[in-house]
Amino acid sequence: MANPLTLYVPIKQDPLTQAAAQAAYESFVDSVKAGLDASNILHYARVALVPNPSGEGILGILLITTFDGEMNPYLKFFWQNEGTRKAFAGIAAIALNPPSPPVTDLTGFENFINENNLNKRSKDLYKGYTQSVLQIKAAFPPK
Amino acid sequence: MSTPLPPDKSTVQGLIMRGYTHPYSSHLLFRFSSKAAASQFIKALLPYLRSAENWGTNKPDKMLNIGLTFTGISIASSLTKTELNAFPNTFTTGPASQGSQGSLQDYGEGDPEKWLFGGLLTNGNPDPAKRVDAIVHSYAMHQNSLNELTDFIAKAATAAGVVELLPLDGGKGRLEQYQLPVDTIHFGYRDGISEPDLNWPETWPAPPVNTDPADLNNFLIGYPNSAFQPGPSNPATPNASAFAKDGCYNAFRVLYQDVNAFDKYLSDNAPVVAQTLGKSTEYAKEWLAAKLNGRWRNGSPLILSPDAPDPATADATNFSYTEDTKGLKCPFSAHTRVGNPRDEALFPAESPVPRLIRRGVPYGAPPVSDNDKGERGLIGLFLCGALASQFELIYSWINTNNFSPLFSPNFDTQDALLANRATPDMDTTFTIPIPGAAKPLVLPKLPQFIVARGTAYCLLPSIPTLKAIAEG
Ligand code: HEM
Repeated sequence: MANPLTLYVPIKQDPLTQAAAQAAYESFVDSVKAGLDASNILHYARVALVPNPSGEGILGILLITTFDGEMNPYLKFFWQNEGTRKAFAGIAAIALNPPSPPVTDLTGFENFINENNLNKRSKDLYKGYTQSVLQIKAAFPPK
Repeated sequence: MSTPLPPDKSTVQGLIMRGYTHPYSSHLLFRFSSKAAASQFIKALLPYLRSAENWGTNKPDKMLNIGLTFTGISIASSLTKTELNAFPNTFTTGPASQGSQGSLQDYGEGDPEKWLFGGLLTNGNPDPAKRVDAIVHSYAMHQNSLNELTDFIAKAATAAGVVELLPLDGGKGRLEQYQLPVDTIHFGYRDGISEPDLNWPETWPAPPVNTDPADLNNFLIGYPNSAFQPGPSNPATPNASAFAKDGCYNAFRVLYQDVNAFDKYLSDNAPVVAQTLGKSTEYAKEWLAAKLNGRWRNGSPLILSPDAPDPATADATNFSYTEDTKGLKCPFSAHTRVGNPRDEALFPAESPVPRLIRRGVPYGAPPVSDNDKGERGLIGLFLCGALASQFELIYSWINTNNFSPLFSPNFDTQDALLANRATPDMDTTFTIPIPGAAKPLVLPKLPQFIVARGTAYCLLPSIPTLKAIAEG
């Protein structure tokens, strides 16, 4: 059964943070691809920069994913993968309200994701199909 | 940073490192009213608190261990808000939370709104009347001794102003062990055979790169390594790390067992099994019971004794699934093959196979008739260093067998004994491959054999931590 993760993290307004957010956005797919590929549970993952109401600068980072199964048991896998760990740690580091205590280990990572997830329930997600990533890949092997 | 040495056994609660064989036990649930009350209560219990030290030939007649939930720790400890935030989210939000329910899938009769303890109100908020702050696991050699010990604990609670929750018999009964034949649980299986070795990694104190999930350092908090980091272990919150060090989490889960539904399933399906195998219906029932579990009722694993139980293999724990790639000996959904798939091929995100220390005991008398709906089942204690990546990962496999390329992705079946059958999109048939047969035997809908009655996630803190709470 697929589940949603909608991670919204408002960020600081200083130029360094704003540039870091832009860089995280630009490199997102490259940084997480290997980890997400290996997990075989991610349908889609995308990142967006939410603009300030004034139109100038970035208010926050929005990460939207749909994955098979439950989230918490699999966070260990994403923390142990260098690419996904760095991508998430990078977002935590520029948060307007930095995680307290800071994210230094798996527990901190689990807490950061859970606290900032806007969709905790699978019933928040419309599903156009019920197959898992593995089932889809098996039915349509890559050419 | 200095590398930690193995813990002194006198600091670790005995339940974690030793499988007690005391025939009598009671698991008492409490709610604290204040820090002072918690401290007075725990101080009163210290004389019976048991460490993991060897008791030699002098087996204690009465002894106890103590677990604290997150609400219990929030009240009883001096930790600040930031320090409390350092505990893992799965522990702080508890088993009725949306996050945990994704893995536990407690629908229908097992819904947290119906739990006897630790549950929710109909509006989804925690039910204050069912809140559990502490569990006292009390063990005795004789019924009289257990009565004395539980009286002592109950009086200590009353004196401190700590409230006891009585979950059974409409708010009058405790969770007390029922004396089935030694090591047997309802459904007639022997249990408590396969447990993690709890060794200390040989390479320690050099931090191991990949330790065995069955090693003790993966169950105890305070010994993080590259593969496992039981938390809290954040250097920014040393008080939280020190509070939790040498503790271990306990997923305390009371599971009703529908013995009549189980017996009926065996009887209803015995004729077709007997016909398929060319054997008697009596044999067919035992064979089916073994296929549901992965071990015959005497304990013999199907992998070692595929055709009949054998006293010589009844205690065997050293066996492998690598040769049984089609499930011809042990079905893929057999409970023990799901609970511990051992060396079976796993998808990368699922491995390595997490382990659990199981310290459960049966409660409630066996049924006396086919209509007997009395309360009975398993008082389950599932110990681990990480609730999410050990207990809940295994539970998600129980509800959805999707973890191995041997049978996934197109085999959405469930643990044959345990799963919640209302889990969405699941195939609740039971597939039993038969050697030499063109097709496997596929039995119709597996019933709901097991129903969750309540769950509490506890920390079994170290003895120094409990003593510090007692000092206030
Ligand atoms: C009332 C519910 C349950 C019943 C009747 C039951 C029954 C059994 C039996 C008969 C065994 C074989 C004995 C042994 O290997 O020691 C076993 C093993 C096991 N069970 Fe359960 N169990 C229950 C709940 C659970 C739950 C909730 C979990 C996990 C969350 C679990 C995990 C395991 C594991 C890991 C093993 C050991 C498998 C191995 O290492 O080969 N069990 N269970």
